Amino acid sequence: MSEEDWLRQDRLPHIFCAGCGNGTVINCTLSAVEQIGWKRQETVFVSGIGCSSRAPGYISTDSLHTTHGRALAFATGIKLANPQLNIVVFTGDGDLAAIGGNHFIHACRRNIDLTVVCLNNMIYGMTGGQGSPTTPMGGLSTTTPYGSGEPAFDLCGLATAAGANYVARWTSYHVRELTRAILTGLENPGFSFIESLVQCPTNYGRRNRFKQVADQIEYFKSHTILVEKAARMREKGEMIPPEMILAGEFVRRNRPALGVRP
Amino acid sequence: MTRTEFMQGNTACAEGALAAGCRFFGGYPITPSTEIAEHMALRLPKMGGVFIQMEDEIASIAAVIGASWTGAMAMTATSGPGFSLMMENIGYAVMTETPCVIVNVQRGGPSTGQPTLSAQGDMLQCRFGSHGDYSVIALSPASVQEMFDLTVEAFNLAERFRSPVFLMADEIIGHMRERVIIPDHVPSNQRKPYEPGSLPFRAGEDLVPGFPAFGKGYGVHVTGLTHDERGYPCATSPKLHEDLVKRLVGKVEGARGSITSCDILNPDAEVVFVSYGAPSRTVQQVLHDHPDDNIGHLRLKMVWPFAEMVLARFTNAEAFIVPEQNLGQIAREIERHTDKDVVTVPKLGGDLHTPGELYAIVENLK
Amino acid sequence: MRLQIDERRCKGCNLCTLVCPYRIFKPGKRANRRGIVVPELDRPERCANCRLRHLYGRTLCGNCQMICPDQAISWKEDEEPVPKKVAIEY
Repeated sequence: MSEEDWLRQDRLPHIFCAGCGNGTVINCTLSAVEQIGWKRQETVFVSGIGCSSRAPGYISTDSLHTTHGRALAFATGIKLANPQLNIVVFTGDGDLAAIGGNHFIHACRRNIDLTVVCLNNMIYGMTGGQGSPTTPMGGLSTTTPYGSGEPAFDLCGLATAAGANYVARWTSYHVRELTRAILTGLENPGFSFIESLVQCPTNYGRRNRFKQVADQIEYFKSHTILVEKAARMREKGEMIPPEMILAGEFVRRNRPALGVRP
Repeated sequence: MTRTEFMQGNTACAEGALAAGCRFFGGYPITPSTEIAEHMALRLPKMGGVFIQMEDEIASIAAVIGASWTGAMAMTATSGPGFSLMMENIGYAVMTETPCVIVNVQRGGPSTGQPTLSAQGDMLQCRFGSHGDYSVIALSPASVQEMFDLTVEAFNLAERFRSPVFLMADEIIGHMRERVIIPDHVPSNQRKPYEPGSLPFRAGEDLVPGFPAFGKGYGVHVTGLTHDERGYPCATSPKLHEDLVKRLVGKVEGARGSITSCDILNPDAEVVFVSYGAPSRTVQQVLHDHPDDNIGHLRLKMVWPFAEMVLARFTNAEAFIVPEQNLGQIAREIERHTDKDVVTVPKLGGDLHTPGELYAIVENLK
Repeated sequence: MRLQIDERRCKGCNLCTLVCPYRIFKPGKRANRRGIVVPELDRPERCANCRLRHLYGRTLCGNCQMICPDQAISWKEDEEPVPKKVAIEY
C-alpha cells in the first residue's frame, strides 16, 4: 500500500484553494498512518466543520464529518464504544479552540486515546476570512478590519496544561518534522495533539502582507524557533521576539489514558 | 425469568434500555432525569457496556452518535435545557440516519424554569426543534411500566428506521414509583445490515438504507452536509437535496399508520379525551369515576409522527378535550386534523389536572 | 523512475518550486485548458528519487510530493528497457 491508496481517488482534486496548506498536512498524516502500518478497516478519520474538516472526505477509510466544534465528542463516543479502532481527528483553529474549546480541554483531561491534528490557519477560511481565536494580535481579517485586538490562544500550551500525553507544533513547511511528530502521536497512547500552522493564501495571506503562497511559507521557514533553542535563550536571559513560532515537541508523557486498545 | 419490581420511572427506563440491548450511555447530570444516568453508570460496566459522563449535553449526544456508528445501541437522557443544547446534533443524527434514543424527562420551562416539577412543554421542540425539515418518532409513557416498555420500543424503532427516537417522559412519570413487570426477553429489532458493494445511502422500498458500521472496511463517509447515495457531500444540487429530505421525512411519515401506538376506550363516545404522559392518569380517574357517562379516551403512546387516522376511530365524537401540561401543543395538531371541537385544557406550574376539573369540562359540553 | 505532475490535480501554487533541492520545478508560463499554470520540469532526470529509488528501495527526498497540497506529484516506473542487438563491425 502507499499513501495514494488512502485517498478517495474519485473525489480529487479537493476543494481547497490553490496553495492551501491543508493538502500538505493530509499528505503528512497519511504518510505517518502508512508508516505505523494501520489497516484501512481499523482506522477512522473524524472532523468537525471548516476547511480542515473537509479532509476526511478525501480519505478512503470510514470517516465522520460532524457538526461545528464537536468532532472530539463524536470521536470519544467512537473510541469508547470500539477501542479497537484507531482514530485521527482533523480539526481547525476555529473548530477546536472557539466553538469546541470545552470538548478540547476535556478530551485532554480524559487523555482519551485519539490523535488530533489541528490545521491552524489563524482564520475562519470557509466562511470568508473572519478572525479566529488564533489570529495574531494586529492580524487583519474581515471581522478585525483594524487589526485583531485580542491575544491569540496558545493551543499547545492549553493542551499541555489540560493533560494531553503528547503535544507538538510544526508548520506546513516542515513536512518531515510534521510527519515524524504525527507518527509519534499515533504511536503514543493517550491524547496526542499536533498543531500545524498552515498557510491560507486566500483569506489570511492576502490580507496580511503575504501576497504570494510562497511568502507565508518563507515566513514559516524564517520565523520558526525550536522549543529547545527557546529554552536555552530563556536561560541566558535573551528575549524571544513575540512573532516567533515555537516549534517542536512540547510534552511527551505517560499519564493514565482512556480508551487504549486492550 | 420474568420478575416484578417496585421502582422509579427513571430506573425503569434505564432497565428497559439495558433489556433492549443498549450498551452505550453518554450523559450529563440534569434534574429530573439524572437517575437514568446514575442507574446506567451502575449497571453498564458490569454488562460490558460503556457509561461516560460528558462535559455537556452537546458532547453527550455527539458521543452517542459516534458510538452508534460503531454499531452499538446508544442512548442519552436529559431534560429541557439539555434538550435545547442537543438540537443541532439531533438534526445531524436525522441527516446521517443514525439510530439513537434520547430520553427527555420534561420539566417546567422556558429556560431553567422549574427543575423539579413536571411539564410537557417540549412536545413541539422534539418535533421541530432542530433546523430544517425533518420528521422524528416520539413516544410518551404514562406509567412506570411504560417507561420500561416504551424505552424498549424506542430502541426497536430507532434501529428499524435509522432515526433518533425520543422518549418524551415528564417529571411525574420519571419520579413516580410503581410496580413494574420486567420480562425475561423483550422484542428486539436489529438495524438492517449493509450489503457490501452497494451504495451506502441508497435505500430500498422502505426508504431505510442498510447500516454500514465503522470498522468493517466499508470505508463509508458520513456527513451532515447534503450527500448523494455514496455519502459524498454535494450541497449545491437542488434536486439531490429535495430527494434526500423527502426520503428522510418519508421513511417516518409514510409508516405512521402502521407504527402508531395508542389506547382507545369507548370509541362510540361523543366526548373524547386525548392525552399522553402524566395527564392520562387524571383522565383514567375521570373515566373510572364516571363509568355511565360514556366518555371516550384516546391515549397516545406515540405522539410523533402524529397518526391523525386514529381520531376517525371515534365515529360519534363531537368534541376532543386535550389536557396537557403545556399551553396546548398537541391540541393544535389535533385541530389541524379534525373539524370537531377541540377543547384545550392547559396546565402549567407542575401540578396535574384534577379529575374534578376535567369532569367539569365534560359537564359543560353536555 | 520518472517524475510527473498530474495536470488534473495541480492548482498551480508553485510550492514545489520552493522545496526541490535540484530546482527541477520551474514556474510554468502558459495556462492549461483549466486555466491553471502548471509548473514545468527542468531536466527531471536529475531527481535523486528517479535515479536512486531502486538502489535504496525506498523514496528518497520526496519533498515536492510531501508539500504538494494537491497530491499531484508522483513518480512513474519507466518502461522496461528493451535490449537491442547491436552489430559490432570490426
